[in-house]
Amino acid sequence: MSESDLTPNLPESTAPAAPSAALINENELIVETRGLVKRYGKLTAVNDLSLSVPRGAIYGFVGPNGAGKTSTMRILTTLMLPSAGQAYVAGHEVTKNPRAVRRLIGYMPDYFGVYDDMKVWEYLDFFAACYEIPEGNRPQMIGDLLDLVDLSHRRDDMVDKLSRGMKQRLCLARTLVHDPQVLILDEPASGLDPRARVEIRELMVELAQMGKTIFFSSHILADVAEICTHIGIVEGGKMVMQGSMDAVRRQLSPHREAVVTLLERADEAKQVLGAIHGVREISDLPDEGGRKRLRVVFEGEDTILSSMVQALAAKGIPVLNFNEQTQDLEAVFMKVTKGIVT
Amino acid sequence: MTEAEAAPRYRSGLFKNPVVVKELRGRMRGARAFAVLSVYLLLMSGFATLLYVLSTASQDIFGFTSGGQVGRTLFTGIVGIELFLVTFIAPAFTASAISGERERQTYDLLKTTLLPARALVIGKLFSALSYVFLLLIAAIPLQSIAFLFGGVSEIEVVLAFVILAVTAITLGTTGIYFSAVQPRTLSANITTYAVTLFITVGLPLMIFIVVALISSFLGGRLADVPAEVQALLLYGLLALAATNPLMAAFLTQFWLLNKQSAFFFYETVSSTTGILQVPIISPWILFSAVYLLAALILLIRTVRRVRRIET
Repeated sequence: MSESDLTPNLPESTAPAAPSAALINENELIVETRGLVKRYGKLTAVNDLSLSVPRGAIYGFVGPNGAGKTSTMRILTTLMLPSAGQAYVAGHEVTKNPRAVRRLIGYMPDYFGVYDDMKVWEYLDFFAACYEIPEGNRPQMIGDLLDLVDLSHRRDDMVDKLSRGMKQRLCLARTLVHDPQVLILDEPASGLDPRARVEIRELMVELAQMGKTIFFSSHILADVAEICTHIGIVEGGKMVMQGSMDAVRRQLSPHREAVVTLLERADEAKQVLGAIHGVREISDLPDEGGRKRLRVVFEGEDTILSSMVQALAAKGIPVLNFNEQTQDLEAVFMKVTKGIVT
Repeated sequence: MTEAEAAPRYRSGLFKNPVVVKELRGRMRGARAFAVLSVYLLLMSGFATLLYVLSTASQDIFGFTSGGQVGRTLFTGIVGIELFLVTFIAPAFTASAISGERERQTYDLLKTTLLPARALVIGKLFSALSYVFLLLIAAIPLQSIAFLFGGVSEIEVVLAFVILAVTAITLGTTGIYFSAVQPRTLSANITTYAVTLFITVGLPLMIFIVVALISSFLGGRLADVPAEVQALLLYGLLALAATNPLMAAFLTQFWLLNKQSAFFFYETVSSTTGILQVPIISPWILFSAVYLLAALILLIRTVRRVRRIET
């Protein structure tokens, strides 16, 4: 269980820095697969996988190594043909209209893919040319991208002289040269030191705020928990569970929990909270530095949380802290997966 | 001023191809490209000097120094060594073209861009060949020293260049084809050289053996052999020339000197049964047609292979 500090009158937010809900259109799927299957000989890497990524989402595609994440991504990026099923990007079937799909996506595989005999700006210029960006527009665009990924000072350095973190940021900049709508990032944070990992994560959030949909895979749950709006858990080539972070959490544990810390009048607070519709159970938690703590189990939407705060305030009960206990993703993950790896 | 600002804003034709821009930038960066060119020219000059010394020395014994002979030796010597170099350099430059992208893990990145397979393959081929051509063109002044001694005509210099260029194009395309088909650069190199050796040495050797066997089977005097069979043997020789740049160069020059024609002429074959006028196309034309056709087929197959989506 992890605690996320909240101001009492704000609804719970699962992703503190994630794009505002206004940017996400749940009804418009920008990436979608239906019954996707990929077989390599006898091995079935992707087994009837259906996923839906709404426009504007940061979608974390989570699963153990060998779960079929990379295969799914290679199909979506037009690099591989599926054995069965369909995959769509912005309505284009990937096998029928690969060119349209390529125009819409920016792909970063789980390796760098850099040329050792190139300068940083040449690298971006080359890929911009491959995406048919007019030569006259490129210097400005390259400058902006290098600013975004904080590599402006390394513009004229050779690519192979960059650190891992810098290479990863350069590769992320490369995925953006043609201003794609969707970024498909395979393990973007793997193999990076903690600082570089945080930088990549911040960049992903920034890009989402710019209106890009981000579909990324990871086996590191912390990365996903912190920035995702949506999650898909995959195991053994099958989608185990997917949806918005809230929905997934709620589905796994219909009861929500809040911890209220009070200066005094704990019994009075219990009565007030107990009267609120939706509250199931109230119990005492051990005191902490002389402060009373109550555990409130409830069921339902965020409005219940706000009614609790309002009711306590109306009675003048001295509330010091009011937290919703969010269920740890690690716990969710352990609950839904069984440890099967193909 | 940075390079981006200094570079011309708009390019045209093949120089607009992103792969060409990238490859040429990489190849010509720093001192390496110029060092290679200088060393190459130094070696060629050394070789030319050696040929000159040898050819004049050997003629001194007879008390003659024929300028034409010296010129001819210099010219054929330099063209010969260039042909040898092209045969080995052109595939080396291209055999890593596509497999190198795979090994550098940039192949997938390129495939997800809008870059057409055609542009990738042609860009790689063009940029590799342009360096080979730079070497060939840089050696033209050396070949032209032969003019000082006489005995070599302009058409020979032009035809030598055509044969060298066609050899470079076809063997370069062979390299790029195997580079696309084979997963690794090492295996692509090995296959390319095996095939190069087969078409430049193995195949002519086979044709040569067949021709030799037939002529020995026919036995004794050429005049006893029916004119028609002699004509067939002549065409066998022509087929030999069409598969091998060295034979093409040699026979083209032979007929150029004997028939004064570099295009189309009649060769007379005579036997006891009669005389036949055999129409002959100059070997360099046949060689160029065969090699360029092979290059085109390989190029199309390479583009198809690169375009293919992994299953």
